[in-house]
Amino acid sequence: MPPDNPVSRQGTAAAPAPTSTLFALVAIVAVIAAQSFAILTSPAEGDMGHLQKIMYVHVPAAWMAFISFFVVLVYSIRYLWRRNENDDLLAASAAEVGAVFTGLTLMLGMIWGRPAWGVWWVWDARLTSTLVLFLIFVGYLALRAFVDDSGQRARWSAAVGAIGAINVPIVYMSVKWWRTLHQPPSSPETLDPAYTMGLRLNAIALLLVTIYFIRKRYEIARVERAVEHLAEAAAMRGK
Amino acid sequence: MIEMNQTFIIAAYSVTWAVILGYLLLVSRKGSRVRDQYERMLGEIRVEDRP
Repeated sequence: MPPDNPVSRQGTAAAPAPTSTLFALVAIVAVIAAQSFAILTSPAEGDMGHLQKIMYVHVPAAWMAFISFFVVLVYSIRYLWRRNENDDLLAASAAEVGAVFTGLTLMLGMIWGRPAWGVWWVWDARLTSTLVLFLIFVGYLALRAFVDDSGQRARWSAAVGAIGAINVPIVYMSVKWWRTLHQPPSSPETLDPAYTMGLRLNAIALLLVTIYFIRKRYEIARVERAVEHLAEAAAMRGK
Repeated sequence: MIEMNQTFIIAAYSVTWAVILGYLLLVSRKGSRVRDQYERMLGEIRVEDRP
C-alpha cells in the first residue's frame, strides 16, 4: 500500500499487505503430510475396511465449514454492533470459504455414502440440514453480488450470516435429535485410538488451509472495497 | 469389492485436492486482477492530479 494512497487518507478500506505465499505452501505441505500419515498408518476398519480413510478428508472438511461459519457469526454480530466495514468483509470472506468446505463435505459424503449405504443421497436429517446450510450461504453470497449499496449489503449480509450460522448446531445435533442413516459425529473422543492421530493431523492441516483462504479472501475483499472507494471518489471529482 | 472401494477412496482424495487447488487458483487470479485494477485506478488519479 503506497503511503500517499488517497483511499487511506480518507480513512476507508485500505489494501492490506499480500498474504504470505509461504503460509500457503506450508499449509499444502501439511495437508500432504497429514493425508500420507493417515493413509499409511491407519488399519482397515472392521465394517467398512479401507473406505474408512475417506473420514480423514470428509470430517475435517465439515469441521472447517463449521469454523468458517462461526467466524461469520462473530463478525456479523460485530458488524451490526460496531458498523465497521472490515467486520463485514471478514464475515463475507469466511462465508465464501465456509460454502466451499460445505460443498466439499457434501461431495465427499456422497462418495462415501455410495459404497457404504448403497446410495449417493438420502433425504435424512444430517444430509438435508447440511444441504440447507450450503444453500443459505450460497444465498448469502448471491445477496452480496446483487446489492449495490455497500451499507445495505453489509446490514443484510450480517443478518443472513448470523441467522444462517445458527443452522450449524442443528447440523451437528441432527444425528442425535433424529433417526438418520448417518453415523454419530466422528471425533477423537468417539474414535478408536488407531484413527485419532490421523484425524487430528488432517484437521490441523486443513485448518491452516482455511486460515490462509479466509485471510487471502479478506485481503482481496479489502482491495475490492478500496477500488469501490476510488471509483466513488473519481465520480465525485468528475461532477 | 476392494477394487471398488479403492476407486471411491481415490475419488474422495481427488475431489478434495481439486477443490483446494481450484479455489487456491481462483483466489490467486482474482487477487492479481483486483490489485492490478487498484494500481491502475490509483495511477489514473495521480495523472489527473498533475498540474
